[in-house]
Amino acid sequence: MTHWIIAPILIPALAGLLLLLEVRERQRLRRVTGLLSCIALVPVALVLWQQAAQGDVGVYQLGNWQAPFGIVLVLDKLSALMLLLTAVLALAALLYGCAGDDRRGPNFHSLFQFQLMGINGAFLTGDLFNLFVFFEVLLIASYGLALHGRGPERVKAGLHYVVLNLAGSALFLIALGLIYGTTGTLNMADFAVKAQALEGSEQILVTVAVLLLWVVFGLKAALFPLYFWLPATYANATAPVAALFAIMTKVGIYAILRMQALAFSDGPLAGLGADLLWWLALVTLALAAIGALSASRLGGLVAYLVVMSVGTLVAALSLGDPGTVGPALYYLIHSTLICGALFLLCDLLRRSRGDSDDRLESGPPLAHGNWLGAAFFAAAVAVVGLPPLSGFVGKLALLQAVPSAPYWALLLLAGLAGLVGLSRAGSTLFWRVHGEVVGKKLGKRRVIPMLALLLVSPALTLAAEPMLQLCAGVADQLADQTIYIRAVLGGAS
Amino acid sequence: MELLVALIIGVLVATGVYLCLRARTFSVVLGLTLLGYGVNVFLFSMGGLKINQVAVVGASADPTDPLTQALVLTAIVIGFAMTAFLVVLALRSQGEQHSDHVDGQDGEQRS
Amino acid sequence: MMLPAIVLLPLLAALLPMFTRHLGRRWCALLVALPVVAALGLLAQASLPIWEGGMQQWSMTWLPSLGLNLALRLDGLALLFCVLILGIGLLVVVYAHYYLPAKDDGGRFYTLLLLFMFSMLGVVTSDNLLFLVFFWELTSLSSFLLISYKQYDSAARKGARMALTVTGMGGLALLAGVLLIGHVVGSFSLSTVLESGALVQEHALYPVILCLVLLGAFTKSAQFPFHFWLPHAMAAPTPVSAYLHSATMVKAGIFLLARFYPVLAGTDLWFYLVTAAGMATLLWGAVWALFQHDLKGLLAFSTISHLGLITLLFGLNSPLAAVAGVFHIINHATFKAGLFMAAGIIDQQTGTRDMRRINGLWKYMPYTAVLAMVASAAMAGVPLLNGFLSKEMFFTETLQSDQLGALSWLLPLGATLGGVFSVAYSARFIHDVFFNGEPVNLPKFPPQEPPRYMKIPVEILVALCVAVGVFPAITVAALLAVAATATLGGTLPEYHLAVWHGLNIPLLMSVIALVGGIAVYACRRRLFAWYARLPEIDAKRVFEGRIQAVVRLAAGVTRGLQTGSLQGYLAWVLALVAAVLVWQLPNLASVTGERAMLPVDGVSVLCALMLIAAALLTTVLHRQRMMAIICLSVVGLIVSLIFVRFSAPDLALTQLSVEVVSVLLLMLAMYFLPARAKADSNSLRVGRDAVLAVLIGTGVAVAALLVMTTDIATISPFFLENSVPGGGGTNVVNVILVDFRGFDTFGEITVLGIAALGIYALLSDLKLVSAKYDPFGRPWAHDAHPLVLVTLSRPLLPLALMIAVYIFLRGHNLPGGGFVAGLITSVALLLQYVASGVTWVHKRIPGDYHPLVALGVLLAGLTGVASWAFDAPFLTSTFTHVHLPMIGDFELASAMLFDTGVFLTVVGATLLILANLGKLSLLDDKKETT
Repeated sequence: MTHWIIAPILIPALAGLLLLLEVRERQRLRRVTGLLSCIALVPVALVLWQQAAQGDVGVYQLGNWQAPFGIVLVLDKLSALMLLLTAVLALAALLYGCAGDDRRGPNFHSLFQFQLMGINGAFLTGDLFNLFVFFEVLLIASYGLALHGRGPERVKAGLHYVVLNLAGSALFLIALGLIYGTTGTLNMADFAVKAQALEGSEQILVTVAVLLLWVVFGLKAALFPLYFWLPATYANATAPVAALFAIMTKVGIYAILRMQALAFSDGPLAGLGADLLWWLALVTLALAAIGALSASRLGGLVAYLVVMSVGTLVAALSLGDPGTVGPALYYLIHSTLICGALFLLCDLLRRSRGDSDDRLESGPPLAHGNWLGAAFFAAAVAVVGLPPLSGFVGKLALLQAVPSAPYWALLLLAGLAGLVGLSRAGSTLFWRVHGEVVGKKLGKRRVIPMLALLLVSPALTLAAEPMLQLCAGVADQLADQTIYIRAVLGGAS
Repeated sequence: MELLVALIIGVLVATGVYLCLRARTFSVVLGLTLLGYGVNVFLFSMGGLKINQVAVVGASADPTDPLTQALVLTAIVIGFAMTAFLVVLALRSQGEQHSDHVDGQDGEQRS
Repeated sequence: MMLPAIVLLPLLAALLPMFTRHLGRRWCALLVALPVVAALGLLAQASLPIWEGGMQQWSMTWLPSLGLNLALRLDGLALLFCVLILGIGLLVVVYAHYYLPAKDDGGRFYTLLLLFMFSMLGVVTSDNLLFLVFFWELTSLSSFLLISYKQYDSAARKGARMALTVTGMGGLALLAGVLLIGHVVGSFSLSTVLESGALVQEHALYPVILCLVLLGAFTKSAQFPFHFWLPHAMAAPTPVSAYLHSATMVKAGIFLLARFYPVLAGTDLWFYLVTAAGMATLLWGAVWALFQHDLKGLLAFSTISHLGLITLLFGLNSPLAAVAGVFHIINHATFKAGLFMAAGIIDQQTGTRDMRRINGLWKYMPYTAVLAMVASAAMAGVPLLNGFLSKEMFFTETLQSDQLGALSWLLPLGATLGGVFSVAYSARFIHDVFFNGEPVNLPKFPPQEPPRYMKIPVEILVALCVAVGVFPAITVAALLAVAATATLGGTLPEYHLAVWHGLNIPLLMSVIALVGGIAVYACRRRLFAWYARLPEIDAKRVFEGRIQAVVRLAAGVTRGLQTGSLQGYLAWVLALVAAVLVWQLPNLASVTGERAMLPVDGVSVLCALMLIAAALLTTVLHRQRMMAIICLSVVGLIVSLIFVRFSAPDLALTQLSVEVVSVLLLMLAMYFLPARAKADSNSLRVGRDAVLAVLIGTGVAVAALLVMTTDIATISPFFLENSVPGGGGTNVVNVILVDFRGFDTFGEITVLGIAALGIYALLSDLKLVSAKYDPFGRPWAHDAHPLVLVTLSRPLLPLALMIAVYIFLRGHNLPGGGFVAGLITSVALLLQYVASGVTWVHKRIPGDYHPLVALGVLLAGLTGVASWAFDAPFLTSTFTHVHLPMIGDFELASAMLFDTGVFLTVVGATLLILANLGKLSLLDDKKETT
């Protein structure tokens, strides 16, 4: 019996709990505990990827109850990939946080670990209600983290974020209720099987349920018209938190992808809500581009870039074509890590600019302006999809995979908007300067995690072909939902 | 009886939705609580209604659906945790923004 | 391997200054020049087969799945451009060493310049279309950094951004066009594409492809109407201008036209688009060049004009015209680079570039004057210089074209007109700068000849102008032939490079241009006066204005959506939900299923009515907060009655105990929130919200009704069957919670724990001012801790704890369990807080509940992990029978341990939340007293 599959949930849970037992506020011990957990998650994720890469779907039956009755954790290539991505991002974000941001409020380290537990759980679970529970775990932790560090703006943005997600949770429950009430099951694989044989009123009710789920996941993923909370929340969150949040929208995208691949690739409900997602994603892309143009702070600009990546991804994924899933996953990895890096970079700039903060206006010259400028330039090039970095490869792959004029037009124009926005931002922040240097020296402990995330982009470019193949492999496995269903319902452990 | 329960669900959800859309944090808390009640009863009703058929083995001939009950129980607890968080966040918002408007001072000025 | 080495050497050179900048600029320049010389040497060797009509190719797979391979090719066209890029690049490296200000160590400059050289070499040698786009975008990026080299100068920043935006846009269009070509041809290999001209031109997508590719070429080559960025790129240091605007950046667009000539040219659409753009650019640039008072401005507009000329030639769809185009590429690059360098020398020596002040320099720097004058004469197309030859060919070709039918005379007319102005502005460059009286108020006076070696690059270029002009056949003919052959894709038309073609119409046109140009220059005063009266149009300001307008528009749209109003955001979400319901539910055939409904009884109806009334009252009275809480608690109470009625005692117990704690919370919240609550919503919003509420409420109710009256097979019989044999408990709900779906519960208590943590974090250092009086002006309490309550509450504690233990233990078999027990315990403890105060309680029990929460979840988690020892998955349970006096026979399941964890977490979390909330009032009291 191997328990590797549950490790990505239990390790952060254990770390989070141990951190709570540590009542004497020994910061160093806390940091070590949190970092140890994050470091451990990377090899664990690698081991799991190694397992999943064999092509088999791993199933872990909690409480030794077989599916669909008990809860199962399911490890396929997609979940393994997402776990690995999360582990890498989280490690960098936490390293950054350990440079001092963790001291800006109580319980940062516990909340961070619980956040990871929730995210990893959402990627692993094969049960719809359990997905809800893990969504709640990651949400409640994210509420705490979003509010970490004080400030009226943060509280206001946090309040909006919390209320919207509470409404989302209510919708989630309604959708789950409908699914259980019409198909009599909560297991995803079992639901996928039952969904093939629906008709009449039950089909309509499941349609309603799934569309409601799309709303819930769309709210997490930040899709139009559900993304409005994101710019303020992300822009106001503490840097390591914002960086970690770069994966949060991807949880929503993952959930959509998972459900779509499993239950709606064929049968009477094939392509359910796909048109809706397609158009909403295109509008998201357009509005995010507009938002990026209008941003008056760097944090806001980066937040809109996150939304832009969401529109790009969901539009491609909504097509339900396995050929688009691979490129989309490549783009997902790239955009998550780069947006994480940008949030950290934004914070470094903020620290160097004193009262000017991250407002896009003339401010004091930056200490180490050349290095920061080079990093910013590289991140900007990567994120808008220009050569020679990974964004270009991702965009090229997506353009080739999605032969649609509106998509091409919007994707290219959004890139242009990003380019205009970032070039204005960059030339203002780095070059339109006056007065004396006010910022302190940049600490290595902040610069290194940021650079580490940034360097993933050239690495992804150099290894573009193997990475694209890897993503295509994930997509291929996803395309054949019977592998997943057989693994879960066949009762193998 | 089912009609009655459906009516109750409808009223709870509707009042909940309406109150969620109000401008003061306190009203929003009330609204989310009502919405929570409505959703819990809804989730509960998904297992069908049975009278005097407790889901205890041996206690009833045709026991009611225990699973929805377990789900609702989980939902109640999570709902409680979330409501508590929201209430305290509302207090925090009041403390930092000196307003109980959901948009803080901005909302105060707009209204 | 020679080809990649040629391309990569400049990249290598770009890295050198990083390590050598401390050695000073001289070393920088030298170290950077060496690889360029080496690349030139390699190029010479690599070019050997090309002179014999061959070609060099090299490729390596990189991204085969996207069709993007690292493929290079060196044919005649690529060779020509490589020579220009490396050759002029080398001269610029030398020139820049003397040009840059003394305090500039040149490190950044050379790095950027060489990066740009690398990108350009990539563009011209790519044998893969996507690889070409790759380098194309790199040229945009590196030129952005070069143009903004003087980064603290606003004009440089704006000019660079403008160039980046325009060329970046073109790059994206080119990318789309290239992808479409790949789609049509089925390959991105340039060699394949070049042979598929017919295929592409017959395809329905041809017009789209053409427009997209031309957009790329025109933006880069500053063709009308995208020409406006080029003059503002002059904010760059002059060596950069000399490089970017003679041989490289702007020629990239021309290169694209030449490269795609076999694929895209030959159609009417090509002719109209390219010729029209070329002609418009030729005239526009030529006319405005005359009016520029800035030395570099004049050269910039003349560059635009000459680029238009070349574009026009490629647009004519005639092989000879294409040859002329290629020839003019060479000639323009040589004389324009020389002119820019001369302008740089003048700028450096006089401290200004304003031609109204720079006059009569002949006296001060005659040698430079000669060089500049020869180059300008070449630009004007004076015989015996290279410009004359290609211009002559140009005139001939415009005469030959009959594609405009009866309007064909327009082409030679336009060409001659362009020639006239070209002569005029060249004349101005010569006369205004070197003669025309004395210098006016120069910042540096007197100007002198520049350092000896600074002139060498100019001398070389001017010498080339003369050599080509006089002996075309032995200087340029071979290179032109291979380049033109490659451009045309095989066969070269017959042409003669000669100074003298006899008396013919093109010669006449040249004469008209020369005479007319001098005449136009002669009436310059009147023309300048006319120009001065024109409204001043600063393209930079216009462009910035446009961008600002777009930004404003974007900000408007964003503000319209991103209102910062939670109500708005929530309304969007709920509207989407309502839309889903309204869209789908009307498709239902019936709102009830086949199962008969349960009979209704009076008590149920009464309760339902009470609940509905209470819910509605909560809504109506939501601003009277106390009343609202009371109504809400009535709702909660009846909800738990519903659970009782429909066989869910566990739920009822839980609901009830949660209700107690929730109301306590709400009361505390009410205490701190402002009592005043005015009506904020106008009737429109109330109406909108009411509609949303009714729609969603109805939808959910309908769905509920339908499901409740439908029979379906669910997974729950499994739980009923396996509860006792598999879970060791008869209370199936509890067994599900702690066993079948124990993982959910584990998550759930984690949520509760995290909520408590988050709340603790929110409450720490929160300062709130509470009203001492209720909304009616009465004090909240006369006695903080009434004696009756204190006396009653203390004995209640052990009693409540007893009940909790009982409820807990029986939970596995009868309604109850850890959660309810936990809540009862918490309520009992909370009562102590309420009755006796925080201080009193904390004297008796430790105040930090963090460890309790952690211990609870840990216990639950460790119970789960314990099953690993038995080689079973997480949370696998086991049980045995135990008999306890008083309580009776019950099973002791490992799930009990799990449930204990639940219990501890609930107690810990509830107290962590409420005790800390209670402390707020304590702080408040303290503040009051001190």
